[in-house]
Amino acid sequence: MQSRDRSGTVPRTVNRYVVFQPATYKSIQRGINKIVDAIKPTLGPVPRMVAVDRILDERMPEMLDDGATIVQRITSLYDPDENVGAMLVRDFLLHLRDQAGDGTTTGAVLLQAVYNESMKYIVSGGNVVALRAYLEKGMRAVIEQLSDMTVTLKGEEQLAQMAETLCHDAHMAKMLGEIFDIIGEYGRLEVRPGRGLDIDREYVEGMYWDRGVVSRKMLDAAKDYRIEMQKTAIVISDFKIEDPRQLHPVIELSRKLNIRSLLIVASEFSDSTIASLLLNSDPEKGQIAAVKLPGYDQTEEAWALQDLSVLTGGRPFIKAGGDTFKNMKLEDFGFARRTWADRYTFGIVGGKGNPRKLRAHITELRAACEVAEETVIFEKLRSRIGKLMGGTAVLWVGGSSEMEIENRQEVAKRTASVMREAMTSGVLPGGGMSLLASRSYLDNVLKNGSNVDERAAYGILRRALDKPFRLIIENAGYDSSRVMSEIESAGSNHGFDIASGKVVDMMDMGIWDATEVVEMAVYGAVKTAAMALTIDVMVHNPEKQDHVPLRKPSPRKKMNIDRSKG
Amino acid sequence: MNTVYALAASLDFKQDGTCFAACQSGLYRTDDGGATWHSAYASLQFDESPTTPAVAVSPDFVQDKTVFAGVSGAVMRSIDGAQHWEIIALPDPPPHVTSIAVSPHFSKDGVVLAATLEDGVFRSADRGRHWSGWNFGLLDLNTLTLAISPNFEDDETIFVGTETGVFMSTNGGRAWREIDFPTEHAPVLSMSFSPHFTQDGVLFVGTESHGLFYSDDRGKSWSRLGKDYIGESVNAIVLSPHYPDEPHILAVLSNELLISRDSGKSWSNWKDKATIGTLVCVAAPFGLGRDAQLLVGLLEKGVVRM
Repeated sequence: MQSRDRSGTVPRTVNRYVVFQPATYKSIQRGINKIVDAIKPTLGPVPRMVAVDRILDERMPEMLDDGATIVQRITSLYDPDENVGAMLVRDFLLHLRDQAGDGTTTGAVLLQAVYNESMKYIVSGGNVVALRAYLEKGMRAVIEQLSDMTVTLKGEEQLAQMAETLCHDAHMAKMLGEIFDIIGEYGRLEVRPGRGLDIDREYVEGMYWDRGVVSRKMLDAAKDYRIEMQKTAIVISDFKIEDPRQLHPVIELSRKLNIRSLLIVASEFSDSTIASLLLNSDPEKGQIAAVKLPGYDQTEEAWALQDLSVLTGGRPFIKAGGDTFKNMKLEDFGFARRTWADRYTFGIVGGKGNPRKLRAHITELRAACEVAEETVIFEKLRSRIGKLMGGTAVLWVGGSSEMEIENRQEVAKRTASVMREAMTSGVLPGGGMSLLASRSYLDNVLKNGSNVDERAAYGILRRALDKPFRLIIENAGYDSSRVMSEIESAGSNHGFDIASGKVVDMMDMGIWDATEVVEMAVYGAVKTAAMALTIDVMVHNPEKQDHVPLRKPSPRKKMNIDRSKG
Repeated sequence: MNTVYALAASLDFKQDGTCFAACQSGLYRTDDGGATWHSAYASLQFDESPTTPAVAVSPDFVQDKTVFAGVSGAVMRSIDGAQHWEIIALPDPPPHVTSIAVSPHFSKDGVVLAATLEDGVFRSADRGRHWSGWNFGLLDLNTLTLAISPNFEDDETIFVGTETGVFMSTNGGRAWREIDFPTEHAPVLSMSFSPHFTQDGVLFVGTESHGLFYSDDRGKSWSRLGKDYIGESVNAIVLSPHYPDEPHILAVLSNELLISRDSGKSWSNWKDKATIGTLVCVAAPFGLGRDAQLLVGLLEKGVVRM
């Protein structure tokens, strides 16, 4: 028997075992149910805990109340047949978490309901291919309904209410409401560990990058180890400056032009270059600070060159383009009203680039964001836009222990991510109410279903759309059937406020879900369940677990909802 | 007095006759409806009064006697009708204050904003004691004019005109969003809200070289107004306090003072067309009725009453 080795060499022969129907359906169903049941207790504002054993040490199990984190910990099930179903769900949920930041348990519950209900129909003789097509058609109709129900969040108060439905922490929610009212959906937010017990926020004017001065000696004469310069000339390049003489034209020109503050940005500075810059930096003649070009690879460096150039109006000197500083002119410098640098960061306030070009540049980045296919690229573009928008908000998250601070930081980041989605896509009545409300559309089409498979698909979807709501109510210890009948008699937009135990208008109470999150959960759940229904045969490699090839994970693709009616 | 950049009249002008004129040669005050003017910086004993491009008075000036003046690198604040001044420095390098706007509910919220030429908008929420830059989303820091919504207490709306267009804030000036004003028509020199902005969403914008623009949907879309009459710089715009019931609009062009009494459909000269010099700013403390008197600030020629 030969199997794949660690270098990824393709084996010549591998013994496999094959699973046919009805075992395939049954084991996939068991796998789906196991992983979904494991995270069901976490749905809603009163989640229950799931204890997960640690793999690497003997400390007490992790106590988790976040569906995505729990499924991340379940890397495989013992039974390889069940594992297929479980891993389908896991992949969808992690994808959903990366894309939307929330909605994982809702998505899981929907998927489970659709799959289980569909199974009943299929074993009673239903046509799986037709059912899949109608499930997807019905799903698009539901998403259309959700879009129609969407409203926009306005003002600090509504944003804070939205945040509280996500983080269940009134103080953190208040801070995040204020922050997002100021920075907007693209603005830059840094979540950092605070020193005290509380949460606080700070607003940093201008743009800054995570690159400090190349030598601490540049900070020796500075107050609080931070250089602050005014009316700064900025040299932007991706050069590796090994010989100090490369910079002589820059220094000479800045002296000639009586430039009193000079910031040099380059990929690398040799020790001799740094020594030369320290010698040339003189409060009388002119202060010089040198920082490394931001970015962890060539693409990020190119982006930084472009952004700095647009922001300050300076020419980017590019090594690959054969540029040198030899014939540098005044117009090659970028300028800023104020710059600063410390050991870890440097910042620019009031860059003197052409505002028209800056506005056009941001418009281009936004357009690129819209069409970005990979989550990583999308996040990087959004971060670039945030930097250029003129300021950064910093949320300082305190706590009584390192673990508490880490957990609160994680909650803050997750909340922030969903709030960005909510500000972009709008919001829906929360607590599973939007899914309940969208059933009415399915009721109408159900009557007009052209055949038995179509009617069955819409019926399955209709029943599945109840499930998240019922689970939220039951997890909080209420009787879901009683609450449901109370809500139905209360009218549209009404839902159940777990905190007060009363039927309320969800929009008035500020209990919302981000539209994008709900739509992605519905889309992904139905797509994944429908796909799982069409699996007829499973082929396993029994040696797989001992011989996992070491490969880099491929970048996650953005989940773009196909809204075509087809 | 030489060049007058801005005029700010007391809301009780009919009784107290008080108006301030921000000039190249400092800040001046009249208490007799503009007949005589004297330096408002007398207590500061400057050798040479600083150029003062911006001035604004509190809407409750009669009670609180609060005046703000913008100079290079600082905002000056007086709480005794310009008898004494406090100078609040803005961060170095010194920004050039171009416009100051006081909240219509200043007595409650204490909000004042200052537009600057290179550093964007500074905001104070403690009656002008402390100022800080609030430029989130303001992609053009060359700000030239500010306008605060008459219903600021509820909508917290502010517009700022810049070298490249118009930005809007709906949270009291702490963050800004681009408005779809055509950048090719900028710079924007002047702005004015309808007194019923909350209901009608009407806003007027005057540009440096492309005339007057109008929006009736809170700045979402714009149309040009009085194209046949106004083809140049609109230095100031004043709306009737009873707009739109009294649909009078006054536009201060460099060499003409035009009035429209039909929401901008047709325009004529304010009273008789007289060559008095280059017009820069205006105050209309008596409204825009046919017999009302205006105070007009001129380039290098002080203030005239028309």
